[in-house]
Amino acid sequence: MKASFLGYPRENGTFGVRNDVAVISIMDNCNPVTRAIVNAVHGTLPVTTLFVRGQYGHDLEVTLASLAGMGSNPNIAGVVLVGLEPHTTEEVARRIRTSGKPVESVTLQPGGTINAIADGTRMALRLATRASSIRRQPCPVSALTVGVECGGSDTTSGLTCNPVIGRMADRLIDDGGTVIISETSEFFGAEHLFAARAADPAVGKAFTEMVLRLEREALSRGMDIRGTNPTPDNIRGGLSTIEEKALGAMAKSGTRPLRGVLTYGQPPASPGLHFMDAPAPAVENLTAFAAAGCQLIFFGTGVGNPIGNMVTPTVKVSGNVNTLRTMPENVDFDASGILETGAKVADLGDRLFAYAVEVASGTRTSSELLDVRETAISRFSPTI
Amino acid sequence: MPRAIVLDRRDNVATLIDTGSAGEHCALQGEAAEAVTLAQDVPFGHKVCIRAAAPGDDIVKYGQVIGQASKAIAVGGHVHVHNVESARGRGDRNKD
Repeated sequence: MKASFLGYPRENGTFGVRNDVAVISIMDNCNPVTRAIVNAVHGTLPVTTLFVRGQYGHDLEVTLASLAGMGSNPNIAGVVLVGLEPHTTEEVARRIRTSGKPVESVTLQPGGTINAIADGTRMALRLATRASSIRRQPCPVSALTVGVECGGSDTTSGLTCNPVIGRMADRLIDDGGTVIISETSEFFGAEHLFAARAADPAVGKAFTEMVLRLEREALSRGMDIRGTNPTPDNIRGGLSTIEEKALGAMAKSGTRPLRGVLTYGQPPASPGLHFMDAPAPAVENLTAFAAAGCQLIFFGTGVGNPIGNMVTPTVKVSGNVNTLRTMPENVDFDASGILETGAKVADLGDRLFAYAVEVASGTRTSSELLDVRETAISRFSPTI
Repeated sequence: MPRAIVLDRRDNVATLIDTGSAGEHCALQGEAAEAVTLAQDVPFGHKVCIRAAAPGDDIVKYGQVIGQASKAIAVGGHVHVHNVESARGRGDRNKD
């Protein structure tokens, strides 16, 4: 029997695992008003941004698409946009409206800060009241799109949390769900193994080209990436090279065929395993998953990285006994049994799949409850 | 006795899952069963050499190449950034 969870039905047929009103900054100069509105109304969350003013071309397009993607995410019940001027604000509103969910917007020009906070607070109150009338209902796990990430990795990551996440990913895909793995640089040295899993040779080729393009970029700058990736904490945790890290990181993709490749924040058009070309650092990577419509993220960690995403609940999985002892509040799922008691990856992966259903149905993650969440959209060219 | 895991029969390193001290015997698990004597202290999660490597030799874990030895490494030696070099993303090697 296929698994199901209790989710919030949305206007476009998708299901959310959370039901918050997103207050979204269209530009960095709007963040203070966004925070003031969120502070005033329960059931809202802030999606802040940096820059936007002065961005242009592909870089601006990725940013606007990511803001609209987070607003359109099934976990969001309604949206208040906070802009400086109406033009850019309306552009993002237009994109989010295609999801069918209610969108309201307020601009700082010409009314000023106090009026914007007052108007935005009234809008958030209306939308949060409306959201609170939506009830969870049973829906199949095939409605889930899940991002898989690792951060603060060490050598336990490739032995414990990542393979356990991989088993969960296989189970979800077998039930018709969608899984996205990204972190392009963390395929350096493992790309041949992952490309061989492509369902279509053209997909494998597109994936390999994304990896090699990023490496060429580092090479063309004359840079040595050592010390940046692997990071100093990766190295302290025993990872010696990016190749070693990549071979362990890939385990979180499970074993199913690679169906498609995506650009930063791009939603997958079909179920199964996808690769997204997005940078490895956690905050910008989780932001790309949220923009692509992921309702859940599974985040393997070795030496510990507490950060989660604002829109998409982020489940922390660790198999490092030391991390579980020193920073237990930052881990949701304990995979240390693999090294400590001989537990099997498949058994823990099946338990993680059951836990995924629980979190999708409302069980809170540590990063939500401690509110250790952040948003950062990647930049692809300088501001002008 | 600290434990270390060998992930593939082709591997020339094992990953410690306990903290190891110089002179201790280290019990290998997984794809190897013998023990090695640690030549140095090896922290939790770090690697020990189980087959000697000469400079330039591939270092193999998961049955895959994870880099090359930058110095000779004897059995029982700590294998890490001081004696292994990555071959990827090395723009510093491109400079004319």
